[in-house]
Amino acid sequence: MWARLGSWLGGLVRRGQVEHEMADELKFHLEVRAERWKRQGLSPEEAARRARLEFGGLEGYKEQCREARGLRLADELRADLRYGLRQLRRAPTFTIVTAAILAIAIGANTAIFGLLDAVLLKTLPVERPHELRELEWTARRPRFSSWYNGSSRSNPAGELIATSFAHPVFAYVRDHTTTLADLFCFGDIEQVNVNLGGRAELARGQLVSGGFFRGLGVEAVVGRMITPDDDRPGAPAVAVATYGFWRRALGGPAGAPGQTLVVNGSPVVIVGVAPPAFLGVRPGRAPDLMLSMAIQPAVYAIPDMLRSARHWGFRVMGRLKTGTSEEQAQAQTQALVRQAILADPPAGEEYDLPRVALNGGGQGLDHLRQAFARPLLMLMVVVGVVLLIACANIAGLLRARASARQREIGTRLALGAGRGRLVRQLLTESVLLAVIGGSLGIALAHALRDLLPRVLSTGPEALQLTMEPDGWMLAYSSGMCLLAGVACGILPALHATRLDLAAMLGRTVSNPQQGPARSWTGNALVTAQVSLSLVLLVGAGLFIRTLVNLRSEALGFRPESLLLFQVDATLNGYRDARLNDFYAQALNRLAAVAGVRSVTLSRWGILGGHRTTDSISVPGYTEQGRGHVNVHVHYVAPRYFETMGIPLLQGRDVTWRDHEGAPRVAIVNQALALRYFGGAAPVGRRVGPEGGSADQIEIVGLAADAKFSTLREAAPPTLYLPYRQHRQHLVTFAVRTTGDPTALVDSIRRSLAALDPDVPLFDVRTQGEQIDLATHQERLFAHLVSGFALLALVLACLGTYGTLAYSVARRTPEIGLRMALGAERSDVVLMMLRDSLGPVAIGVALGLGGALVGARLVQSMLFGIAGQDSATLAVAVVVLVISALIAAWLPSLRASRLDPMSALRCD
Amino acid sequence: MPPHADLLPGTLDLLILKAVSLGPLHGYGVLLRIEQITGGALLVEQGALYPALFRLEHRGLLEGEWGVSDNNRRAKYYRLTAAGRRRLKTEAEGWNRLATAMAAALRARAGEE
Repeated sequence: MWARLGSWLGGLVRRGQVEHEMADELKFHLEVRAERWKRQGLSPEEAARRARLEFGGLEGYKEQCREARGLRLADELRADLRYGLRQLRRAPTFTIVTAAILAIAIGANTAIFGLLDAVLLKTLPVERPHELRELEWTARRPRFSSWYNGSSRSNPAGELIATSFAHPVFAYVRDHTTTLADLFCFGDIEQVNVNLGGRAELARGQLVSGGFFRGLGVEAVVGRMITPDDDRPGAPAVAVATYGFWRRALGGPAGAPGQTLVVNGSPVVIVGVAPPAFLGVRPGRAPDLMLSMAIQPAVYAIPDMLRSARHWGFRVMGRLKTGTSEEQAQAQTQALVRQAILADPPAGEEYDLPRVALNGGGQGLDHLRQAFARPLLMLMVVVGVVLLIACANIAGLLRARASARQREIGTRLALGAGRGRLVRQLLTESVLLAVIGGSLGIALAHALRDLLPRVLSTGPEALQLTMEPDGWMLAYSSGMCLLAGVACGILPALHATRLDLAAMLGRTVSNPQQGPARSWTGNALVTAQVSLSLVLLVGAGLFIRTLVNLRSEALGFRPESLLLFQVDATLNGYRDARLNDFYAQALNRLAAVAGVRSVTLSRWGILGGHRTTDSISVPGYTEQGRGHVNVHVHYVAPRYFETMGIPLLQGRDVTWRDHEGAPRVAIVNQALALRYFGGAAPVGRRVGPEGGSADQIEIVGLAADAKFSTLREAAPPTLYLPYRQHRQHLVTFAVRTTGDPTALVDSIRRSLAALDPDVPLFDVRTQGEQIDLATHQERLFAHLVSGFALLALVLACLGTYGTLAYSVARRTPEIGLRMALGAERSDVVLMMLRDSLGPVAIGVALGLGGALVGARLVQSMLFGIAGQDSATLAVAVVVLVISALIAAWLPSLRASRLDPMSALRCD
Repeated sequence: MPPHADLLPGTLDLLILKAVSLGPLHGYGVLLRIEQITGGALLVEQGALYPALFRLEHRGLLEGEWGVSDNNRRAKYYRLTAAGRRRLKTEAEGWNRLATAMAAALRARAGEE
């Protein structure tokens, strides 16, 4: 086996030498033999002749020798490649056009697959990622925990599933486990305020235990990583910067380790820098700083959180020990978690002990995958369709070209070349073409790789993804090239080699009766292109209409001249009444800034994707017999309705007198009034919070309806409550300005910094930008799908044009004959158009079917339009048919301009 | 010269291995050696020898090396490898079993048990 492979490879590499030696060896044989005959008295010529006769067919045996070494296939491939390259060089226009089409199609596929790869397939850039496990727990009554961080969800049985653990529980498992190695924990921090030599900046942080980097097997590129030594009590707070943050904010190589930052008011020493490929354990959410646990009090405003058994704020990962089964590790980890809870149980609470599961952690933890799987797969289908169209298109071109080479192919067949051998040669050419185009496309996708993650971003910052090509990507791209090459080439190759030899070599006037039967391949290719482009056109129409519908939704408030930003004063230690006071003072100061018309705050901004819901009781309304109903809640400051431009229809606004101790009040919107008070005037009526008496809150006003968290939903029943009467953390300020809102950002920052320089502002944007972000994905789809549909349309037209032009060329003598017999020019145009209309019509019918199926699959991504919307379908069909008619018109016109005499003589 | 017999399929490889097992030979030498050890009874088509030699070398049963012939010419000499020696042994045993069995079968006469 190895001997053969070695001999084969050796033969390939030293091809010339092998050939040379073989010739020498056979020559030696003939000469020695001839000498023998000479010795027996023959003349030298006669002796040599005798030797050759005895030997048999020299070249035939040589070929057998080559075959014996397995070299024949390689020889043929080499010859085919050389021949193919020569063919491509001889037709530069054809080569450039087809390579460009394939470059775009394969480039788009590679690019989208790159995203898919980064989001769905790529594993963390850490050591042995398959060993990593993340702990997850499930419980019906999880009252052992009063505070979570990280992702949690409910299963159909109503149990809570979460991934965060209390630090003492983590420490207990870490110290007692025998089935998991390198256990470490970490906590996500959305934003931290970083002061770098007087310059304040917001950064994304992650709190990590000392075992984090050792557990992941990630080494520092500069300085050192955080180690278990940094976890010992009293250790100074240290941080490791990600490579990007180091280059961007810390001055790169000049910013050597050892510099001190102030994070949320606490000093932190940068001890090292992570490698460029390491973007944290959550795909798409790269932290800037990994901070040691010592800084916990400054980032989570919970005193002594590391010793609290109630604050389940840390995600836990470890490595499955070799030789340990999944079941053993799971059983032991569950037992240890339960022991840790029982060691410090919640006082006087009924609770269930959790079940613990170990999930594969190698692909990172985020639910990015779930969020983007569907849109990514849809885009993948779109670019796949584009590639199919491109292949059909190039197949058409190749077929026309092969027919130009029919004499050559016919001659070779007549001389005894095998059909399989010829097909292989033609396929080599098309694969060569695909490889050239594909390489260009892959280079293109690679050049654009930094832009690609923006495609998926829903926030102002680009998603941080590892876009470096990996094995998956390599396999995909090369597979794509090969497949495209074969797909383009197989039909034309089979078509070209299925010849009637006699007719071919002695070709005279083409037989018109034979024509249509011959061109079914061409028609099928046109049909395929037309139908697939129609699917994309309909898709583009649906996504454009969705975007237009979303943008024309009535908002219920005035979005222009509104500036939004978020503030979280708890990051600097404000609590309870002091926190409320801080926000009140901030509002006062901002109102005095020149250019500010009015200012207010609410828990979340409008159309930011966030929502708060709560259940209240409405006396007199007995929905589901429970008395409790679920409503959306906005916690607002005074002047909210004035600032947002929401009309206050009845009653009064929230005022500063609605403070902590005052009687509780609320304002409701029309949707709530209509649903729960039957449209009767709500002012003066009462509702109750869940768990409180039913008349605790007095309704003092009625506001007009406005959108809440997303454009896709109509205004939900909404309750507006004074923010001072409820516990708050982070709030969103809204500033209505007299002029351009972005011009005020600096003065607003200065004004708040004067109040407290260590309370950061973040997510600063105008309401307009907020709405753009809210429709980001829809806009992206509208643009991308339209772009691809346009490309598909151009290709389909090119295909129709090419097929008809080919048919005109083939039927030139026939057309000449018809015209000589008295056919008018218009008759010829009509005849040719009729010919091309058939495949287009079939394509439209098939495409409509495909579009209806496809539309059902994307229905959930659409808004305000049904997938089978007849207007969209009609427009798409009309656009396609008109384009196809224009494409067919040109060659038909040329056919009608033929000079009958020269046409008849052309063969 | 005794009458010629046709070569059975598959026997050429065995003959070559046997010939080369008696000492390294070049291609023409293999031909002569086969003629010699078969007493000229088997007819080998000269050209067909070389694809067979190439095949055996490709499979690692023979090893080729360039050397100088008796009349001072460059020639490629084939030698048996360890794998070739093993193959020769098994093939020869197989052949002998077959030959014995065939001979016994052809000796049989009617009436014998």
